[in-house]
Amino acid sequence: MPEVSKMKKPDVKVVLLGDMNVGKTSLLHRYTERKFKDTISTVGGAFFLKQWGPYNISIWDTAGREQFHGLGSMYCRGAAAVILTYDVTNWQSLAELEERFLSLTDTANHDCIYAVVGNKADLTDPNAQLYQDSNVAPEDQTECEEERPEPQVLSACPTPPASPASLSGSVLHKQVAPEDAVAFYGRILRYKGLDEKSSLPAEKMCFETSAKTGYNVDTLFEALFDLVLPSILRKRNENQESPTVDLEECRGASNKRARSSCC
Amino acid sequence: MSVKAFELVPAVERDLLMGDKARINIECIECCGKHLYMGTNDCFIHHFLLDEVTSSKGKLSYSVQKLLHKYLGLKKPVAELRAASALERLIVLCDGIVFLVDMVTLETVPSAAGGGAKIRGVTAFCINENPVNGDPFCVEMGVLSSKRRTVQIYMVYEDRVQLVKEVTTPEQPCAVSLDGYFLCLALATQYMILNYNTGASQDLFPYNSEERRPIVKRIGREEFLLAGPGGLGMFANAEGVSQRAPVNWSESVIGAAVCFPYVVALDESFITIHSMLDQQLKQTLSFRDGHILQDFEGKVILASTKAVYVLVPLPLERQIQDLLASHRVEEALILTEGAQRNIPKDKFQILHKRILQQAGFIQFGQLQFQEAKEHFRKGQLDVRELISLYPLLLPASSSFTRCHPPLHEFADLNHLAQGDQEKVLRCKKFLISYLGEVRSTEVANGCREDVDTALLKLYAEQDHDSLLDLLASDNACLLADSVPWLEKYQKYFALGLLYHYNGQDSAALQLWIRVVDGELQDSTRSDLYEYIVDFLYSCSNLDLVWKYADWALQKNPTIGVHIFTKRPASKDQSQLNPDDVITYLGKHSQALLLYLEHLVLERRTQKEKFHTHLAVLYLERVLSLMSKKPTDEEQLTRARERLQALLRESNLYRVQFLLGKMENCEELLLERATLHGKLEEHDKALHILVHKLRDFPSAEAFCTWASCSQDSAYRQQLFHLLLGVYLDGNQTATGGGAGDLEMAAVDLLNRHGEVFDAVRVLRMLPEGWSLQLLRPFLGRAIRASMHACRTSQIALGLSHSENLQLLHDRLKERKKPIFVSEKKGCHLCHNTFSEPDVVSLPGGVPVHTHCVAQRVRDSPTKRQLTNSSNHT
Repeated sequence: MPEVSKMKKPDVKVVLLGDMNVGKTSLLHRYTERKFKDTISTVGGAFFLKQWGPYNISIWDTAGREQFHGLGSMYCRGAAAVILTYDVTNWQSLAELEERFLSLTDTANHDCIYAVVGNKADLTDPNAQLYQDSNVAPEDQTECEEERPEPQVLSACPTPPASPASLSGSVLHKQVAPEDAVAFYGRILRYKGLDEKSSLPAEKMCFETSAKTGYNVDTLFEALFDLVLPSILRKRNENQESPTVDLEECRGASNKRARSSCC
Repeated sequence: MSVKAFELVPAVERDLLMGDKARINIECIECCGKHLYMGTNDCFIHHFLLDEVTSSKGKLSYSVQKLLHKYLGLKKPVAELRAASALERLIVLCDGIVFLVDMVTLETVPSAAGGGAKIRGVTAFCINENPVNGDPFCVEMGVLSSKRRTVQIYMVYEDRVQLVKEVTTPEQPCAVSLDGYFLCLALATQYMILNYNTGASQDLFPYNSEERRPIVKRIGREEFLLAGPGGLGMFANAEGVSQRAPVNWSESVIGAAVCFPYVVALDESFITIHSMLDQQLKQTLSFRDGHILQDFEGKVILASTKAVYVLVPLPLERQIQDLLASHRVEEALILTEGAQRNIPKDKFQILHKRILQQAGFIQFGQLQFQEAKEHFRKGQLDVRELISLYPLLLPASSSFTRCHPPLHEFADLNHLAQGDQEKVLRCKKFLISYLGEVRSTEVANGCREDVDTALLKLYAEQDHDSLLDLLASDNACLLADSVPWLEKYQKYFALGLLYHYNGQDSAALQLWIRVVDGELQDSTRSDLYEYIVDFLYSCSNLDLVWKYADWALQKNPTIGVHIFTKRPASKDQSQLNPDDVITYLGKHSQALLLYLEHLVLERRTQKEKFHTHLAVLYLERVLSLMSKKPTDEEQLTRARERLQALLRESNLYRVQFLLGKMENCEELLLERATLHGKLEEHDKALHILVHKLRDFPSAEAFCTWASCSQDSAYRQQLFHLLLGVYLDGNQTATGGGAGDLEMAAVDLLNRHGEVFDAVRVLRMLPEGWSLQLLRPFLGRAIRASMHACRTSQIALGLSHSENLQLLHDRLKERKKPIFVSEKKGCHLCHNTFSEPDVVSLPGGVPVHTHCVAQRVRDSPTKRQLTNSSNHT
């Protein structure tokens, strides 16, 4: 069997977690492709490699559906940052983070950082609604005017859609206030047994974003990348200091020894 | 969306296996090189020889030869078969028992004396393809037993199996895979990784083994493929981390394998093929009653209950070409780059480049120029491939032929654009920008001429501004090819530049002259004539200068003469000899004048010949203007001013010669006066000025001018001479004229009083003149003499004080006071002193003043006096 080729080895892993329909895939799309486009419910998980300066950061977009919930801890294993995403118009989406998703992060690195992100801010916040992503080509703007696509293509959805279908421009009732997110962040630290004073402050780690308009999206990802940089550098150092000789090539060759076809 | 990545080729047909026995089913298969083993539900092992046959059309098929079949005697289906080729053994699982069978004879291997060759109560086993133990004559095997929650590790030898390790698991395991020390297990409710050496375990993710058959498939070093919830194909490595995104299978998947870069999976009715590179479903093959999917040394073999098939991958290149053919550029590139590891490096580079180039052309055809450019750049496209799409752009002499097989499907640009002129234009603009970017890079190495010539043609055709920049800078445009093209688009100026760049200045000039003369039309430069003149004055080829100067001078002498005047001074042969130029300019009087002015006035050439020549030309012009009727006073004045200025300022021309020329000319008196002045014949000059011209200011100005470089005595003399002329004239003249001269004399005195010697003047003046008349002069004279007197007094006083100061200083230097008293005697006469005035001799000896005077008078030298003037 041929050696499986590895892609560029990622230096660090960032994972997006959150209930279905909060917009994890859209956030990632907005950041990587600078567009807001139709997404379908993510199956299993998806993966994006971001070249950030000299570093490769892998961003894992996980599936929010209950069905794939079991995969979460595996995706979180070794993560340097976890983005816990909720929908500002849906109180339950925040509650789910605490009930279902927080425990998935047990497998993440010990020094993993956590961001709490309220997406769909455009639906409640006029600032976010009027925000113009300066990096967007004009034609994409028109696309944004279209109705928000509701990613509920699969009829086998175990939970009802997180937010009711809404026309662009109508301001929905905001169910989750920033203070709620901050309080949740405090509870994350407590869950992790971290001291609030020595951890990153809540105001730095709680964001409200809009994948639709791009509001705060770059800010979120770039702030996180800056914060995981020490983690990257440490990992690179460790690799350099490792006394192990990489015998990948030799072992690859010895693979077939037992099955040499000289019969 | 589909790619044809694999082809399903039948290997063992049903009748070969079981003939007409309907109830026989295939239970398991094993393939080892050409040997195919098959276990059936009636407890038989069949042995086939599988040969690949490639038909003349390149179609692959298999010829199968049945070697042997053997009944195992257990009446149960053969559950699993694994070959250990180094041991020449087949490991068989049948009826919960693992035992060994000879690969060739299919006979069961009897137990050796030391240990058993059978393991009982086995549900599943796996072979470690990447064992830590390096012994080539044993095989490591992981065994799941039906009763205990354990995994046992056995070493399999030729005639025995040996238990080496046993690890317990939290639940009953139902599937296993092994790599190094790592066991990847499917338990009842979850998958996990277990290190049998350290006992460390890592949970992967939960699933339900009752709902679905688990799949645990080693796909590479420390990496496994697992069937996850929702029909996902999940990747996990030994650390329990997923490094690839999952692929989305159907819920009922039976078997899976990796055939890089694809994940192949089998369900009840289809074979699905996903790419590991982008997780997309690439191909679906219908396959009924699928039962087994396994890969053996890279060969994927499938079996239904009755027949065996091989899933043959199509050559990667063909897959990529298929993708490109359907314009799926991104996928083709991902596939190419993903396959990097499977292809030798040099071969990969060639393939990758070619794919990039093809991708670039596809995008070019879709007018996605930005992307196309990027791919051309990365693929190091021979830029001529692109140029050759544009008809006629490559030079006729170019040796280029398009690459074969072709990189694209276009015959040329017209074919690509299908007559859409706007498209053609956009393509041309793209090529302009692309060539502009690459021409100075290594991309253009070896075909610089083709690139520059193509660029020139495009610029000319598109009327692009950069045409001139291209030609004015370093370029490799081919002359022969460019000439007709530039002529076609009437870019004659540009063509001239090209001639010039190729050292054919003469051709360039001829062409430009035709444009200036209106024979050819090219509006590139409205100031082409001036350009030609500039070109000629900087031209180092003197023959050309001589040849075309005539044309330029005829066109416009004033500008044309710049050919000679603006020529930068240099010391090489291209320097023109001024004498030659003057001779040459003989017929162009105006230009000649300008040239001489340039030599004399600007370059300040100190040569009598030029100065005289210029003066004569000035004079001739004045004379000719004077002779014209009616006279243009303004012009005449200007001409005379020039002449006068030259006559005044130059000292080099031949004065007598010029004087001779204007001897009879009564109108040029001022000039004649100047000439006399040059000859120092000041009386003659003044005579002319005063008596003939009666131009008293000029006379004064003459005196000032003639004496300007002389001392004041000379000046005084000159002014006295003028005064004399005035006064003499006053005596000889009569009437009003006399009064004029008198006034002139008075004015002269009053104005230039300081020059005159007042005493001499007073003696000269007639008695009868009133004081009032001369008041300014006299006043100034008196004041001046007073001033002189007082100034000298001040100077005297200052000298005195300076002298005293010096004496004081000197005394201070000596420090010692000299005492004089009535009791002391003079050393010379020995009398006492009666008054304070004494003279001190060297050594501070006081003596009487008169004694010293006496002594000095007597001494042969007066040296002592100078030293002894110290008074107290």
